[in-house]
Amino acid sequence: MPTATIPNANRSGSMPVGNTYTTISGMPIAPQYGPADLVQVVYDREIGPPGQYPYTRGIHADMYRGRLWTMRQFAGFGTARQTNQRFRFLLDQGQAGLSTAFDLPTLMGLDSDDARSLGEVGRLGVAVDTIDDIQVLFQEIDLEQISVSMTINAPAAVLMAFYLAAAQERGLDWKKLRGTIQNDILKEFHAQNEIVFPPEPSVRLVVDLIEYCTRHVPQWNTVSISGYHIREAGSTAVQELAFTLADGRHYVDETLRRGLPVDSFAPRLSFFFNAHNDLFEEIAKYRAARRLWAELMRETYGATNPASWKLRFHAQTAGCSLQDRQPEVNLIRVAYQALAAVLGGCQSLHTNSMDETLALPTEHAVTLALRTQQVLAHETGVTNTADPVGGSYFVESLTSRMYDESLRYFQRIEESGGMLAALAAGFFRREIAEAAYQYQQSIDRDERVIVGVNRFTQSDETSVETLQHDPGVEPTQVESLQRIKTLRNRGDVERTLSQIRKVVATNENTFPALIDAARARATLGEIMGALSDVMGRHQLQEQ
Amino acid sequence: MKTSTTLNRLPEPGPATTPAAVRIVLAKVGLDGHDRGIKVVARGLRDAGLHVIYGGIWQSPEAVAQATLDEDARWLGISLLNGAHLTLIPQVIDALRRRGLDDVGVILGGIVPPRDIPALNELGVSGVFGPGTSVDEIARFLKSPPTRLNDAVELVSSSQQRDRRALSRLLSLIAEGRQIDTIRDALATCTPGHGQTAGPTPVRTVAFTGNAGVGKSSLIARVVTELRSRQLTVAVLSCDPQSPVTGGALLGDRIRMSGCLPDEGVFVRSLPVPSGSQGIAAHLDLMTRALAGFGFDVVLIETAGTGQGDVAVRAVADSIVLVLQPETGDSVQWEKAGLLEIADVIVINKSELPGAERMESELREHLNLSGPAQRGPNDSRHGSDDVRRGSDDVRRGSPDPAETPDRRSPLHQHLVQVSAARNEGIQQLWKILSGSPIEE
Repeated sequence: MPTATIPNANRSGSMPVGNTYTTISGMPIAPQYGPADLVQVVYDREIGPPGQYPYTRGIHADMYRGRLWTMRQFAGFGTARQTNQRFRFLLDQGQAGLSTAFDLPTLMGLDSDDARSLGEVGRLGVAVDTIDDIQVLFQEIDLEQISVSMTINAPAAVLMAFYLAAAQERGLDWKKLRGTIQNDILKEFHAQNEIVFPPEPSVRLVVDLIEYCTRHVPQWNTVSISGYHIREAGSTAVQELAFTLADGRHYVDETLRRGLPVDSFAPRLSFFFNAHNDLFEEIAKYRAARRLWAELMRETYGATNPASWKLRFHAQTAGCSLQDRQPEVNLIRVAYQALAAVLGGCQSLHTNSMDETLALPTEHAVTLALRTQQVLAHETGVTNTADPVGGSYFVESLTSRMYDESLRYFQRIEESGGMLAALAAGFFRREIAEAAYQYQQSIDRDERVIVGVNRFTQSDETSVETLQHDPGVEPTQVESLQRIKTLRNRGDVERTLSQIRKVVATNENTFPALIDAARARATLGEIMGALSDVMGRHQLQEQ
Repeated sequence: MKTSTTLNRLPEPGPATTPAAVRIVLAKVGLDGHDRGIKVVARGLRDAGLHVIYGGIWQSPEAVAQATLDEDARWLGISLLNGAHLTLIPQVIDALRRRGLDDVGVILGGIVPPRDIPALNELGVSGVFGPGTSVDEIARFLKSPPTRLNDAVELVSSSQQRDRRALSRLLSLIAEGRQIDTIRDALATCTPGHGQTAGPTPVRTVAFTGNAGVGKSSLIARVVTELRSRQLTVAVLSCDPQSPVTGGALLGDRIRMSGCLPDEGVFVRSLPVPSGSQGIAAHLDLMTRALAGFGFDVVLIETAGTGQGDVAVRAVADSIVLVLQPETGDSVQWEKAGLLEIADVIVINKSELPGAERMESELREHLNLSGPAQRGPNDSRHGSDDVRRGSDDVRRGSPDPAETPDRRSPLHQHLVQVSAARNEGIQQLWKILSGSPIEE
């Protein structure tokens, strides 16, 4: 057995090396908290019982007694056929919902036979070029029973059109479909860079989807307003919280401009947050998020349906916290992060696999990640009562502080001229890059301990098995795409594509035209091309 | 041509010589946009004293190889989190080899399974740095000093025969202030000479100056595209500030020009500018001559923001474009900078922003330029007014003409609104700069 080597004895002692105690995001922490820290806090107004406005303590009175969170592992690789097999494996393992990862060409709206897709087809997710891939992806899965999540943004409207057209071809009732599409383009501009169109037309497509699904697919979560990627890009917890909710506000504002009443669509907005290392900061973040959103919806937007006030969220453990040294240690990180998400009242959860800093996870690693959630749900007892940390002097005071600091960020965004002006000025990217740099510096200066990286290192590391990519995927997918292209009716494709161009130039909702094109077997790349003929393409600027 | 006595001449010592900083191009190839790591590394390496040319995301193997060549970088750092390293890295290495860049070190960051590292090393990758790496570790790795013997005369002569690598090396020597006299002599015998009589197509040099954030790089990118559409080749010398403390620099202008790259007819070189050096790199005149000798039709210079000393660009450029944007300050500030006086063309970029019209009229008032009132209100947008100035300020306020090497009689000053973002007004700008008659 290798033993941990402690490089310097006096550096192996208690916590931080610098004399400051802060959260991982740099928020200062007092040595202890007590009633004096909560004198400003009015319980009924700012905290309230679980299941009651402002939902700081959770959106359900009985929380996980009523229903456990959905264990939803993100999966997808290779061809639609391969991912379909993985999906069925996960359902057999006891997973309750599906979460689809698409490959990079799909995320960027490119076909598998595009020159830019070379080497990336089916690699980080499943390759989807046409409605036929969607058909294969969900074959033998009961889409009226299983909820499906699709992580896609710039081409979200097109993928949703594929899904709806495919459901129709299978004879399914759109009103029974349940699931979530990420459809959150703003955080792509802030953080993840899967961008195709300029900001304004991009947001228009987001709202087209909200509007269309509100009318026709009422159980579908139309946006998963995501802080996850903002955090992964290096933001602080407060930035994650504030920017995500600011994005949500922008979508609400834009949807209201379509004339939809707030209570018609707000209940179907959902959120997606990161679960990072700092246990209490994360819990406080989720609690502050619920309160902020509830207040915004009721006070600012005048929503009267309690479903509109409730912030429902999916959580994923922090990929950026995982290390490539001693990768098994990642299992432990993930377990604590999952605990934070559950103590924070998440509705669904993805736990990362220990080997994800090295490659896509193996089946063994994915299974262990899922087991982590099962142990948490069934063995630890944390599900017995709603919001078990509620009333903690520390957690409540941290929650209030995160709430206050978010309001300050809202103010700054407002002062920059609102979401799109702040975005164009590079406000979000600058803030995030600065935080990321500070964080890295604190590690490089040894002010922060990362086990196995700058402390407790091991010279003789054992290696873990990693998943090997199947090189046959790309040619198989390209071949199948070409077969579809020869079988389809070229005239239908041209007609539906030019209909898209026509509709995009107007204020009409693009969905009927997108669904027609999906049925005609127009490819993702072709449809994105037609959209960009009118919308243009975004040029990424930096600094 | 050259004599053997100039061969193997040692670098000239002295204060004019900058220590050769390690130059690295950092970029992401492929479709993956995860840029947290590469941006942190870019900043960290700058702070460690390196000169970092950040090429951004979504780059092709050809584009990163071209950047490495033109920037004379010792290292190329690629970040990949898309798992496609075994497809893309061989293409990058191949693109480097085809450009004769066998001695450029390639490093990789991101998510790379340990299993793949031997194959990558085999291809020529020197180092792979995963998620747990500290920036110091990377900096130490890269600082192994480059040992290059450069014969200036040979570089000059090869670059005149369109050897791009030699040109790139030559520019590095000039930027570091080495063998300056030798290079000047060699260029004088080989080239038509800047601003003097005659090659068939004398190179035009245009400098763009203006505060950080006004959109100089984006505007230059548009001008480059415009020039390419006219079959003109163009070199861009882009100056960015260098840290006075570490000597490091993060050179990010190139990224705004990535839309027109890679293209054989476009050469972009990022130049770090030490603080207190008037916003431009030293010896720009020699660089311009070298580029002209190679055969570029136009050289565009981007200064590192404005300052009192920016008047220095006057000495190296045929025309000076001062780039402003609406609502960046009052007219007092422009006056203070002294830039309004030296500019041949004042460009109000971001004409789509509110305040562009007001700014134009304020400027006209300040400069005593005739206003757009003589024309229809819309004619002035994205157009220009050819303005005659009184003969008493022919020298633009300089009491002694000899102090300002102003080659032409600056009777005309132009004011033009453009929008680099919307690609509006660029043709008009180039017409002014190239001296074509302005369409009324």
